[in-house]
Amino acid sequence: MSLSRRQLLGGLSAVGAAAAVGVPFLSGVRGSSSTGELLPSRIGLPKPFTLPFRVPPVLAPARADATGDYYRVTQRAALAEILPGVRTPIWGYEGLFPGPTIRSVRGRRTVVTHRNELPVPVVVHLHGGHTPAGQDGFPTDLLYPVGWTGEHTMTDGVMAHGSRDYVYPMTQPAATLWYHDHRMDFTGPAVWRGLAGFHLVSDPAEDALGLPTGDRDLPVMIADRSFDADGSLRYPSLDRSLLHAPGVHEPYGSGVLGDVILVNGVPWPVAEVPAVRHRLRLLNASNARRYRLTLDPPGPLVQIGADGGLLEGPIAHEALEIAPAQRFDVVVDFGRYRPGQVVTLRNEFGDDTTTPIMRFRIGGAVPDTSRVPDRLAPAAPAGRTAVTRDLRFRHGEVNGMAGWTINGDAFDPARAAATPRLGDTEIWRLSSDFHHPIHLHLASFRVLSRGIGGPGPYDHGPKDTVDLRPAEQASILVRFTDHPGRYVFHCHNLEHEDMGMMGVFTVRR
Amino acid sequence: MHQWTRWPLRITSSLAALLLFNQAVFAGQFLSGTFPALQNHRDNATYAGIAVLAAAVAAALIRWPGGGPIWPVPAFLALLGLITVQITLGFLRVLAVHIPLGVTIIVAALLLAAWSWRYRPAASPIREAEPVGARS
Repeated sequence: MSLSRRQLLGGLSAVGAAAAVGVPFLSGVRGSSSTGELLPSRIGLPKPFTLPFRVPPVLAPARADATGDYYRVTQRAALAEILPGVRTPIWGYEGLFPGPTIRSVRGRRTVVTHRNELPVPVVVHLHGGHTPAGQDGFPTDLLYPVGWTGEHTMTDGVMAHGSRDYVYPMTQPAATLWYHDHRMDFTGPAVWRGLAGFHLVSDPAEDALGLPTGDRDLPVMIADRSFDADGSLRYPSLDRSLLHAPGVHEPYGSGVLGDVILVNGVPWPVAEVPAVRHRLRLLNASNARRYRLTLDPPGPLVQIGADGGLLEGPIAHEALEIAPAQRFDVVVDFGRYRPGQVVTLRNEFGDDTTTPIMRFRIGGAVPDTSRVPDRLAPAAPAGRTAVTRDLRFRHGEVNGMAGWTINGDAFDPARAAATPRLGDTEIWRLSSDFHHPIHLHLASFRVLSRGIGGPGPYDHGPKDTVDLRPAEQASILVRFTDHPGRYVFHCHNLEHEDMGMMGVFTVRR
Repeated sequence: MHQWTRWPLRITSSLAALLLFNQAVFAGQFLSGTFPALQNHRDNATYAGIAVLAAAVAAALIRWPGGGPIWPVPAFLALLGLITVQITLGFLRVLAVHIPLGVTIIVAALLLAAWSWRYRPAASPIREAEPVGARS
């Protein structure tokens, strides 16, 4: 049988039409778990699970007295061996990435004196801190370097030179906080270079619960990075001095995704752990990457805390979706596994190099007196809602360039997008076009709803960052207490933040 | 007989329909968080508009010299007008109109393309004078 010319043409047309729709359809049908572009490394990468896990050192106070604990932190450039045998220039608190962990006790004033020996101004923000406005790290409250001879950006912020104190009253419940750079326009590259560390708050109520403590309480900072051929951290800054032009080269304006997963600064580490319950304080310190964390072989991740502190009761998850800046405190019972077994923490949102996160090698069974009580913290008090606000987080034009906006506007430190009254409870309805992890300074909040349903499985407990997925709306209940003044809220995709997606709220008396 | 006059319209209207359908494909992708699909959606709108304009020109061939109906020309021009409105609404984020209008445009483009394949020229005005059955 021979094909007529007509049949042949018809067949070819049908194939062409199917391809014209089918190829773009199938190539993008999976969507994206993070908004951003992968920036590939240009250097050989180590095999996963070959380097030892470590926790950042705990900073000792320079002095402690009746008025509080006093810490000193010098921010400086340093060389770190992140990849074996490779020297990587970083910017670090105390020259370390991650920075040293600061431990505070609820209600005990903590004063951190930051000295800036970096080549750029800095701003320190205690993420999750219930902090007075002047100490919160407003993006234009710049701390200029020691001996700065360069120009000064004209802002209405508070200027300091060389060093300044950040005074934290720490009148907040036990929680896993973190501190990081927050300078206007340059937060993404500064955090990428290493300016991030844990700040843990404990309180007697938490201590009394019997949760795993000591070396069974592990801070786990997960951050993706990419490396250049010379071993430096690769980042697509328009201006590598980080002094003049903000922003990144296209196509990275949607977010920078690295291909190396660092856990506490170590690529895909392996931890030796006794076969007992451990508390893992999971922090996503990535600029743009979201993770869906699971254990392999499967086992429950028992969530006990969220960004702002303990949940009312534990929640067992098979997987956790964690957006940039979010924290999940979980307890994992390694006693469920055999001694010698390996348990991998995986990222189901990952690809070749970003699926593995870290590995635990289970040691022998030892006595374990820890427990996870059914009741962890009191329920959040309900308040009468004074105001409902709508905030739309969208891609848009910023100074004639592609950028990111809130209600159509790019960040302007002089204009408040919201002016809540001190003591008021408000509902903020947040909506998105792409993935936008939305973070509020000062106040922790509760997620009331997501889409047309209640809170999602990862929305429980006190939060300071809510993970908005594309074209999604979430409502949050937020109370503005204790501290009046000017704060920011923003997308914690740091490339979005740097390219406009930040707003001011001023808490008025 | 100008049988060939059907082919430019078949090709351009089918291409236009495929490109317009792909607008929905790209929209679905950026609503799934794939950022570059937004640029694809924007670029493809231009290509689809050009294809519809080309189809309007091809539709004119159906009439001259094809001797067929004239209505496909205004139909494709109207579609082009809707696309212009649609692009404006997209930039203005008037999505409550943009999305239903987009569905309308795709349906209209598919119907017009389907017509271009079904269309058989009637006997041309010249041939109408000839006896029925005289056509080869």
